[in-house]
Parts: sequence; structure tokens; C-alpha cells
Amino acid sequence: MGKIVFAGAMSHVLDPDYYQRACGDDGRRKVTACMAEIARMGERFTATRPDALIVVADDHLNAFSFNAVPALCVRIGRTVPRMKQDHAEAFDAVLEHMPDEYPLHEDLANQILEKGIAAGFDLAMSWEAPVDHAFLSPVNTMHGTRPIPPLVPIWVNSFVAPQPTPTRCFDFGRHIARVVTAGPWKVGIIATGGLSHFPELSLPRVGETDTVFDRKLIHWMEAGEHEPLRNLGVDELHKTGEHEFLNWMVLLGAVTPARAQVRYFGELPRINLAAVEWSLS
Amino acid sequence: MSRYAVNSLLYRLKKDQAFRARFEADARAALAGLDLTDAERAAFLARDMRKINELGGYLHLVMSVPGLAAH
Repeated sequence: MGKIVFAGAMSHVLDPDYYQRACGDDGRRKVTACMAEIARMGERFTATRPDALIVVADDHLNAFSFNAVPALCVRIGRTVPRMKQDHAEAFDAVLEHMPDEYPLHEDLANQILEKGIAAGFDLAMSWEAPVDHAFLSPVNTMHGTRPIPPLVPIWVNSFVAPQPTPTRCFDFGRHIARVVTAGPWKVGIIATGGLSHFPELSLPRVGETDTVFDRKLIHWMEAGEHEPLRNLGVDELHKTGEHEFLNWMVLLGAVTPARAQVRYFGELPRINLAAVEWSLS
Repeated sequence: MSRYAVNSLLYRLKKDQAFRARFEADARAALAGLDLTDAERAAFLARDMRKINELGGYLHLVMSVPGLAAH
């Protein structure tokens, strides 16, 4: 019987130079501390000798253009490339030193997709979409120079309204857990992004965060109280800059009712950095 | 607000290096024929990313178009 052997969630712009530019010395210091915790999470993940790593993240209008924006999309195929951007700026530049190509866990991805469709999740699929920093910054920070296991990238449309609801994301996570349990593999799952930043996706509000809301989310995750999280509204996430918490909702569905342990939480003007791990039985 | 027109243009400016070069050389000509409102066209001609965001341009695009990005 398969098992989820590791679950973690973390911020996904993990680059000291980016935060040096955005927030000065405090930014560099805090993201470096957050990255150190994520690296330790990666060591614990590797110690489970996993067969695959599911990565639930969002696209920053890189993989998907405006010809289609899937609510939930499973990356299938055998390998996935990292996004390439000429003259990359800001968060896109984070990718530049990273390996170009990553193996996928084809069987697990296909099962999540096929059984998902059968169960009523109208999932999109992609054979070609590249992955951006939301996937690769956490994965590379977790692994350092160690080999990265085959990935199953899953996109959640966190930004382009109308997004899927927190309830739907949670229920999809429960589906992922059922697929893993029915299979033969030891699987890790991470969700990336957040916590609070870029409220209302408004440029004048870049630099604001909602720490009170972050602490509320963290409290519920630590207590294993997932019902209030399922009942969050997309509008509420938009106003508080918690768009990417939809990715975390998928993970919460996969591990419920497990309790979270905060490995790092650090406030910055631009974003509240976080690294969280779940205690799995 | 033409959300599609603004964002597909931002996406093209980000991903299509040749189009970006045309825009940088002669923005008015590059935008000719695009289905933009007068306010949207004016915002692009002024490279006013704050205004483009206010008109519906997605934040992550206005923050990442090479050479034009707001930070």
C-alpha cells in the first residue's frame, strides 16, 4: 500500500539576492533562514527514500497563456523543463542557475489524472507546460546537490479569476491521498507560495501583508482544524494576499487531519515567509 | 476594461522578444490594430505599469516584462 511519507509547504521565491533588492539586509537574512529550514525539511524528505514528489503550485502566467487557464492541471509525460525567459527579471531570474530538465513520475501523474476524471474532477492535462520558480525554487532548495526524485507537478489557478474554491482544492487533495494509498509508492507532497503578499494583486499595494490573517491560517493548520479553512472564500484570499493558499489547501486535503508544525515564519514588508511541515502518522 | 487584450499584450511583450523589440522601437506602430481602449493604449505608450495594472493587467506580468517591469 502506498503512503504519503512527507508533507510540507513553503514560500517559493527563495533567493537571497531577490530579497536583498526588495527588502534590504533584513530580506536577505530572513530568506536565508527560511531556506535553511526548507533544506532541513528536504533532508527529512530524502531520508524517507521516496519514489515521487508531488508539487502543488501556481503558474505566474508563464506556462499558460491567455488561450487557456486551467483551474487544476496535472503535468504528465516523462520530463518537464524549467521555464526559460530572456532577460529575466524579478522572480523569473530566480530560475536561471537551476537545472534545465526534471524527471516526472509518469504512473502516479497518470493515475491522479485518470482517477480524478473518473471521480468527477474535470482536470486539465499538459504534456508541454514548463514549470517556473513556484515549483523549482522549493524543489531545488530542498534537495541542494542531492538527486531530485521524479516529480508530479500540479497547477492550481491561484491568480486568474475565477479561481477554484478552497473547498474544491481541499477535496482534490483528498483525491490525491486516495490515489497514493491505492498505489505502491512512497510519496512526498509539497505546496508552495505565500504566505500573505500582493493583496488584491494591486501594484500600489506591493509591500503590504496581512500578518493577522497569516496567524489565523497557521493556528488552524497547527490545530488540525481544517473545516474553517475549507470555508474560506476566494474573495477573502484575494483581499488578504493569500491567493497561493489555494495550493496549500490541496495539501491540507491530502494530509487531513494531520497537524502542522511551523518551521519558519518571518515577516517582511513584501511577503511573510513561511516553511511548514506536517506530522504524519 | 478589456482584460484579455491588456493581458495578452503583456504576455506577448514578456515572451516574444522580437515583438518587444518592435514595441521598444516604435510602440505606436507595434500596438496598431490591437483591440485596446484609448486609456489602455495610452498606458502602454506611456509604459505606465501602474496604470496598466489598474486597467486589469495582472500583477505578475507587470512585474516581470523585461525592460518594462515595475518593481
